[in-house]
Amino acid sequence: MLEIKNLHAAVDGKEILQGLTLTVEAGKMHAIMGPNGSGKSTLSYVLAGREGYEVTAGSISYDGHDLLQLKTEERAAKGIFLAMQYPVEIPGVSTLTFLKTALNAQRRARGDSELDAMSVLKLVRKKAEALQVSEEMLKRPLNVGFSGGEKKRLEILQLSLFEPKLAILDETDSGLDIDALKLVADGVNATRSPQRGMLVITHYQRLLTYIVPDRVHVLAGGRIVAEGGKELALELEAKGYAQVAKEPA
Amino acid sequence: MSAVSPIEARKAEALESFRVRGMPHRRFEHWRYSDLRAVLDAGQVAAAGTAHWQIGEVPDGVEVFDLAKPAPPDWVVKNLGNIGNRPTMEEASLAFAQGGAALRVAKDRKIPQILPLTVSSTGNLRLLIVLEEGACLTLAETHAVDAGLLRNVGVEIALGRGAELTHVRIAPNAPKSFTVEHIAVGEARDARYRAHFANFGSRLSRTELHLVLREEGAEAHISGVNVLGGESHADVTTHIEHAAGKTHSTQQFKHVAGGKSRSAYQGKITVREGANGSDSRQTAKAVLTSTRAEADLKPELIIFADDVKCAHGAAVGDLDAESLFYLRSRGIPEREARRLLVRAFLEEAVAEIGNDELRAAVWRDIEAVLPRALEQAR
Repeated sequence: MLEIKNLHAAVDGKEILQGLTLTVEAGKMHAIMGPNGSGKSTLSYVLAGREGYEVTAGSISYDGHDLLQLKTEERAAKGIFLAMQYPVEIPGVSTLTFLKTALNAQRRARGDSELDAMSVLKLVRKKAEALQVSEEMLKRPLNVGFSGGEKKRLEILQLSLFEPKLAILDETDSGLDIDALKLVADGVNATRSPQRGMLVITHYQRLLTYIVPDRVHVLAGGRIVAEGGKELALELEAKGYAQVAKEPA
Repeated sequence: MSAVSPIEARKAEALESFRVRGMPHRRFEHWRYSDLRAVLDAGQVAAAGTAHWQIGEVPDGVEVFDLAKPAPPDWVVKNLGNIGNRPTMEEASLAFAQGGAALRVAKDRKIPQILPLTVSSTGNLRLLIVLEEGACLTLAETHAVDAGLLRNVGVEIALGRGAELTHVRIAPNAPKSFTVEHIAVGEARDARYRAHFANFGSRLSRTELHLVLREEGAEAHISGVNVLGGESHADVTTHIEHAAGKTHSTQQFKHVAGGKSRSAYQGKITVREGANGSDSRQTAKAVLTSTRAEADLKPELIIFADDVKCAHGAAVGDLDAESLFYLRSRGIPEREARRLLVRAFLEEAVAEIGNDELRAAVWRDIEAVLPRALEQAR
């Protein structure tokens, strides 16, 4: 579903990704692990189409499309979802209004009919309960005054609501205590499906105890330097990135 | 020999003063961002005639006097041309307007319905609003758009003890006209003036407020939005004087400028000697949605008293790139995302309008102008 080949990407003229090659399959949970500065967030932003992240070489094919030709919002409408490490606060836009606007924009782009406010509310309520996202949170301006855990839960609520084909979770565990982590992980696991490809980006092995990956890829210096099954995550935890990165992939 | 009436005397004085001072221009204090002299001469102001006004159904408890008629009642004689500091364009409206409206709400009368007042046509005009002690009124001032060259309105507002006026002024986009309005407000003890100025721009649009909190406990809460596109201009200039202690003022202005528009806010707060325990807050923010648009924000504080609270802030910026990316990454097209963010930016100021009907009216006008205010000029 996602094929990244020899990807080079630069931010402010500095090359961060240096020949990254990665394949994500439908129905599989892929984990990318890597130390700080290895290019994890750059990869997620390049996939989502953020301005300022310039692809200088390589290709990304997604579900039959040349991903790099699509605008950010077109990627979302075609089923790419990025749960962000730092979700932005937007005062003046209520969370529910945001969810409705986004959901209907995606539906419109796909040629589906828009949902009325009542239908959206029902749908959101159903999904929100499991993630302990309260009615009160939905009324508040988007992410404003939300705790770290609340922000991450709202990201996962969107994952559940938008039902993307490819979900990218960028450092979803950062800033979460163990209870919040379990709640978020349960939310993520509930969205696993044979049609959905998932890419979890994380610094620590901790998250992978709760979200068990099918494949683990090690990112260092802007490239995938090692790949393996879920046991690779444990090996990394034991040996450290420096040691594993040295061994041939 | 018949004596000259006080109003006639004030008009003659105003005429003389306007002749001497002439048209305001960039080197006038507080006319930096609106060079009226460059586009209009004093003769055109004098020859502009008198604009029209119209008031909907007059509710019980409100008295209306047509200033074009002879024999004004005492409350008009006492107040007309007698409130505020009479800057030059206000002198012009006093000198040249052959009519206008005077409204009075009697002591302790609280008018539940909105009083709509519409200004139309071209020329000078005077409005006088007197709220007696304990009176309460919501005034919706709207302006009809036409191709007239100049509309120069002088508004005077006298609020008695404990009186409360809510004044929502909506100035639609009038691309062919020069529109000037000066609002002078005097407040007695515990009076409250709540105003919202929604400006959608004209060839040159100037809204100037001079408000004096004369006695303890008086309050003023001013908010407003400028939403501009094309080559529109809108300048909001306020001067709030805390002349007595324990007075309170807040200001909340949000400006959006797209296309090649120009938006300006100048807010001066003076805290007079002895006005201890007064509290003033002022925020002005502008978002530029086009590289060719311009916004100028100029706060000014002059404080002669001790023991006062003054807070102010001003910021001009672009729409937040991170927020824009976040919304687009959720499938919201760029245009819609920008619209959503601009609405969100304006929300704080529009929310200051307590009346649901008037707040909805301002939002409707904002929505109508937004597509142009979001246009990037080449």
